[in-house]
Amino acid sequence: MAKILIVDDDPDIVESMRIILESCRHTVKVAKSGEEGLKEAGADKYDLVILDVMMETMSTGFEVARSLRESRDNKAVPILMLTAIKESTGLDFKSEVGDKDWLPVNAYLEKPLKPHELLQKVESLLKGK
Amino acid sequence: MDDTNLKPAEGLTERLYWLIRLRWVAVGGVFFTALFADKALHIPLALAALYSIAGALGVYNLLFLLYLAWFRAAARPDLPALANRLANAQIAMDLLGLTALLHFSGGVENPFAYYFVFHMIIASVLLSRRASYLQATFAVFLFLLMAGLEYSGVWTHYCVAVQAAGCRRADLINLLGVAAAFTSTLYIAVYMAGSVSLKLREKEATLRAANLLLNEKDRIKSNYVLRVSHDIKDHLAAIQACLDPVLHGLTGELKPAQENLIRRSYERTEKLTVFVKALLEITRIKLSQKMETGPFSLRKAAESAVNLVEERAKAKNIKLNFAVGPGVDVIVGAQIYIEETIANFLSNSIKYTPEGGSVDLMIGDAGASVLIRVSDTGMGIPKGDLPHIFEEFYRAKNAKAAERTGTGLGLSIAKEVAKRHNGRIWAESQEGKGSIFYLSLPKEAAEPGRSGDAGSPPGLRVSGG
Repeated sequence: MAKILIVDDDPDIVESMRIILESCRHTVKVAKSGEEGLKEAGADKYDLVILDVMMETMSTGFEVARSLRESRDNKAVPILMLTAIKESTGLDFKSEVGDKDWLPVNAYLEKPLKPHELLQKVESLLKGK
Repeated sequence: MDDTNLKPAEGLTERLYWLIRLRWVAVGGVFFTALFADKALHIPLALAALYSIAGALGVYNLLFLLYLAWFRAAARPDLPALANRLANAQIAMDLLGLTALLHFSGGVENPFAYYFVFHMIIASVLLSRRASYLQATFAVFLFLLMAGLEYSGVWTHYCVAVQAAGCRRADLINLLGVAAAFTSTLYIAVYMAGSVSLKLREKEATLRAANLLLNEKDRIKSNYVLRVSHDIKDHLAAIQACLDPVLHGLTGELKPAQENLIRRSYERTEKLTVFVKALLEITRIKLSQKMETGPFSLRKAAESAVNLVEERAKAKNIKLNFAVGPGVDVIVGAQIYIEETIANFLSNSIKYTPEGGSVDLMIGDAGASVLIRVSDTGMGIPKGDLPHIFEEFYRAKNAKAAERTGTGLGLSIAKEVAKRHNGRIWAESQEGKGSIFYLSLPKEAAEPGRSGDAGSPPGLRVSGG
């Protein structure tokens, strides 16, 4: 089915997402940091990138997303951002209005993840491609 | 400066306003006393002079008032120093005024001469010790000057004695006695009032320092809570993420016994997550320097709070009514938090109201503020619990019995939100009948401490040492 890149530094959350996504026969590649994610996205072609917004090392998910958008190959790759940001900054992402101008991602998903929500978002992003 | 550290700069501006208010009373007092002495007691008085002095008092009082208001509005950093100079000037002017009044109404014979003591007390409260003694010396000088000049005949003596024998202008021994008593009284008054006032200032300084220390410790504690709960929350999220696919059969069919246990673990994790999130939220609000506020539609915020709980009300067959009074729309505040507080009231009411009951949300205009009111026909809050329900982690006995888990933080968050908006929050309840929760918010919710100068509530400003 689809090739999905997960960029997240929490191995347990990554493992759970991998199992959920592979149960729907997607191919999953994991990057444990922003740098690794960018390298991986440059080396191979992916149908979807899932980014965690807060990562311990270097770049936040937003920075990774911007770098992806600036690259030649991944200008248009759908990006799903995982956040716990609403409660930490008070920002409200429920609305998902045309945020593309200021934040280059296609959809948000709030943590903790629910399997069916994750799958729903992934399917709709893949279809919208 | 002997006592620089204990200068009564804090609140001096407020005390100057107090002094100005007192002086209006004094002006009126002089006017009516003179009138009474003249019309009722038939004491021969230089009325024109006395009224002019009262008028002068009124004029310079007004000038001081305007000057003070102007300087306060300008919010200059040298306000304390200026207030101090102003206090000195005012008291000196008052001493001159009182001396003039005495001169025109009997001089040393006037029993009101002892009103100088009030000025000494005021000086001891407002000024440094040295300045108070200087003011006492000035008062004694004026008094002796007046007595001496009247005795020697350089100044006219306005005798107020009804019988000629009562006039003591030329009674030297009596004059000396009066002068000695007057002088000692003034110095003793300054000494005593000054000692008390110094002790109070010392205590105030100690308390202020202790308060700062406590605030700092509280902040450190909150930071600690924030870090710990953040870590806990991350682990919880990972545990849930791992349980979730198992529970949903993504790793293969589960036996009923396995499913049962995994579901229980999952639900407990979820409850713990809710708790940790609430703890994070209240800690964050407490630590935040200021809330992001802006104008928003309270009506819309309330609508979305209602939407949030509608399902739950329907599931329990509870009638959910919602009414917004005329004139309520846009207010200034932190929309997310206010919306959450309303939702919190509503979901509490729904949680503790039996099936078939009703929950009402009413928002009304109360002039400069809006009143949000949520009432229910639920189990109510026992009398003994009612004063504590806004405390952190507190849960009423009957609430605990009805619902074993619950964070006990929802209402404390609401209270914090009200506080940060300069609003008020309270509840009324009758056990078995129902509860009413109120949140009153100013339409222009200025945050405490942001209004700037000395007009801000006490305790929120940090004084420069």
